Amino acid sequence: MPQKPQIELLSSIHRKRLFFTLVLIFLISFPVMVFYTAGYRIDLENDEQTIVTTGGIYITTDKSEVEVYLDDVQVERLRLFRSAYYIQNIAAGSHRMVVQRPDLITWVKVLPVDAYMVTEAAAFNMPAIPQVRPITKYVTATGTAIYLGADETTIEIFNTATTTVPIFFTESKRTTSYQSNKEYEFVSSLFASSSTSSRSVFTLISEEERFRFATSTVSAEEGSTSVPSIIERNNVRLVTRLQDIFAVWQGPDRSIPHYYCVTAGDATTTALRYGQHVADAVTVFAQSTTTPLIVVGDRLCRPEIKLNHLRKDVYFYDFFPNSSDLVLLQLVDGLYVTEIDDRAWQNVQQIYAGTDFQVIVENNIIYVKDGLNYFEIITTLNVK
Amino acid sequence: MAVDDQSQLLPYARRPDFKVARASELSGTDRRFYRFLEIVPGVAAWGTLISIVLASMYAPFLAAYFIIAFSIYWVLKTIFLSVHVRYNWKRLKHHMSLDWRQLISRFKYDHIYHLVIFPFYQEPQEVLEGALQGLIAAKYDPKKLIVVLAAEGRAGTEAEILARTMEQKYGAKFGHFLVTIHPDDTPGDIAGKGSNTHYALHQVREKIIDVHHIPYENILTSIFDVDTVIYADYFNCLIWHFMTAENPYKSAFQPVPLFTNNLWDAPALSRVMAMSSTFWQMIMQERPDKAATFSSHSVSFKALYEIGYGQPNVVSEDSRIFWNLLIANNGDFSVVSLSYPIAMDATTAPTFWGTLKNIYKQHRRWTYGVENWCYLVYHFTKNKAIPLRKRIGIAAMQGEGYWSLVTNPIMLFILGWAPIFLGTREFHETVLSYELPIMVRNLLIVAMVGLVVSSIISLSLTPPRPAHRSRFQYVVMALQWIMVPLTMIFFSAIPGLDAQTRLMFGKYMGFWVTPKREK
Repeated sequence: MPQKPQIELLSSIHRKRLFFTLVLIFLISFPVMVFYTAGYRIDLENDEQTIVTTGGIYITTDKSEVEVYLDDVQVERLRLFRSAYYIQNIAAGSHRMVVQRPDLITWVKVLPVDAYMVTEAAAFNMPAIPQVRPITKYVTATGTAIYLGADETTIEIFNTATTTVPIFFTESKRTTSYQSNKEYEFVSSLFASSSTSSRSVFTLISEEERFRFATSTVSAEEGSTSVPSIIERNNVRLVTRLQDIFAVWQGPDRSIPHYYCVTAGDATTTALRYGQHVADAVTVFAQSTTTPLIVVGDRLCRPEIKLNHLRKDVYFYDFFPNSSDLVLLQLVDGLYVTEIDDRAWQNVQQIYAGTDFQVIVENNIIYVKDGLNYFEIITTLNVK
Repeated sequence: MAVDDQSQLLPYARRPDFKVARASELSGTDRRFYRFLEIVPGVAAWGTLISIVLASMYAPFLAAYFIIAFSIYWVLKTIFLSVHVRYNWKRLKHHMSLDWRQLISRFKYDHIYHLVIFPFYQEPQEVLEGALQGLIAAKYDPKKLIVVLAAEGRAGTEAEILARTMEQKYGAKFGHFLVTIHPDDTPGDIAGKGSNTHYALHQVREKIIDVHHIPYENILTSIFDVDTVIYADYFNCLIWHFMTAENPYKSAFQPVPLFTNNLWDAPALSRVMAMSSTFWQMIMQERPDKAATFSSHSVSFKALYEIGYGQPNVVSEDSRIFWNLLIANNGDFSVVSLSYPIAMDATTAPTFWGTLKNIYKQHRRWTYGVENWCYLVYHFTKNKAIPLRKRIGIAAMQGEGYWSLVTNPIMLFILGWAPIFLGTREFHETVLSYELPIMVRNLLIVAMVGLVVSSIISLSLTPPRPAHRSRFQYVVMALQWIMVPLTMIFFSAIPGLDAQTRLMFGKYMGFWVTPKREK
């Protein structure tokens, strides 16, 4: 029988050895991790291993289950960031980002990446085939929209768009077995009371200018009935000027969205990184005394960005629901969504095809009146 | 109560400020200094947390590097502590398998008495019976036990009646049995376990020890929480360690508290908190040079007598008694790890919310042990006979312990993300800003390996499953450890911050009795 327990107390030497080993690990791992998190990497692909500096891209998406490609290579989403992709280990330079899904319009942008820095972008993907929810005057007992005295061919929009809800056509015009639709009454009253016009906003503004010139004693507000009132969201104001629409920053300098800004550099570099149009705009604002460039740290920020309206007349514009980065534009051939971010270019995506229709955005819902028919434009899609 | 003659006290223990509990008991410079010490822990904790918030806002790069360093430190600390827990677990299992009666057969120990004190308040009869039956079931001659049931006068006649009932039922089984009633409102006392024990020690000396002429050096005193149920070989193990200790009269003997009496009836949260406390004590068992006594422990009566039985005026009396002994003995006092368990109750209540409340209050009381830091630093500046290196080492280690207790969980699980939310725009555009949460998350996942070790060890220490509990409970017990980040914040850091803030503002706490409940 032993006279004492065989397992002794953890010895002081053992504890000290463990302690100093861990201290050593700390001293080695801390600088390694600091350099790693700052963007330094060891380049293992070259024969001579070298330390390289990298940047990243952070891209948010408005749809789930999309595929994201960086320079034609698909990237995985880190679970840490919801509805966003953080792509690490990107060499400095320009990189082509693609966000796509088969049933959505593809979003493409070339973005500049700097070492140690993360370039942000917000992708958006509207349905490849426009989606509408018909709002009919009558509905069945179960709430199904019904078109009286019509068939599929009568309602032209269904040639270019898909309905997101079941609809019912009947040749009969009898309404006795159907219920009147409260939503229809609400939407039709919206359009009845609205000043929406089927004329170009640029034409309306020209007329407004002429009217003001002729009757200089009448204030603009008194005479204005059809020119869009001030449209502003999150300190971004939409302004029409000289046959163009601009997204003008109204807020404090330090809060200006990143895509208004470029890294300070010469015009050639700016053109290479962000596109010639951005470089030209920076040059113009740099020389302007009325609307100068905003300087934020080492960034030069334009006070406004021109929106891409595909060189067509604009009949209606407003912010896209719940966004101050996207703008709705009604052009001659349909309703479009464009991004304000103009790095490389602005993605413009059609969400409704038509030539003679009116648009209203109410409670973050886009309503369209096309002929005698009303629709809600649906921009979200269930993943199939 | 008669005032003791001071002659038996160690020289340093005769100082009028030896048993100081708070600044208000001192005067002049000492009072100001002690008050300063009371403010330091709270200021350090709040200062740290506020500094991280401010750094995240105004110097986010610096804050980010600090958080990376801290996360690495946390992983390494987890490894360091896990090694200690695992090693002690091995030793604990080994000690539980030994025949300690056989091991001590070579010693002459018939002359040694075990004085066992159970201070209690309003605990039910089954708790007291469990404790006393544990003594009877021990593999030790019960006639060598002096058992004291120390009731609280403020608990009313019910407590006294219960104590007398226990005396009638079990008194004859032990060598001596004494019921003491700690008078209510004794000047200088704060109601609680410390003052009750202090009174009981006085009483047992007068009424039993001196009457029977038992030499003080032949008595080993075990001060047990009333829910303590000893394992069969506890006294044998204690004797072995007492006999083999380098300096047995300058040693406190610390068992490992296993909060397993009601483990199968306690909610998961309560089990995690209980086992976490056990693990901490297991870690300290392997670092006795850094430990103080905690909860139930044993020490020679002679040592207690030489310091006047500890303090009746503090909340954290279980650890304070060790600091009293260390300081009075000029630093020549240490903890001996028994690595042998005693069983106690996990904190529970009839309702879930009641359990949360009780756990919070119990941990606030434990973390109020920061009052001991003020005490020992104060006396370290007075008692120059203690080696300077030892004084600095203990003060720094204890201070770091109380600081990290309240700040580390909050820094790790909440403020670690602060630069991301509060940082400047320049910071948000950097790779560092994006990599920081990924790095912290990955390091925390690595640190979670420690929880796996905890889960395995806790299952091995769980008492046998009662028939009315399903096997599925084992799965719950294994998975319950994922709650640790929450328990660390809500039942460790926040009660600790609460306690330190109270001390900082001079809102001194009283002793809150943890309700004991057994099935």
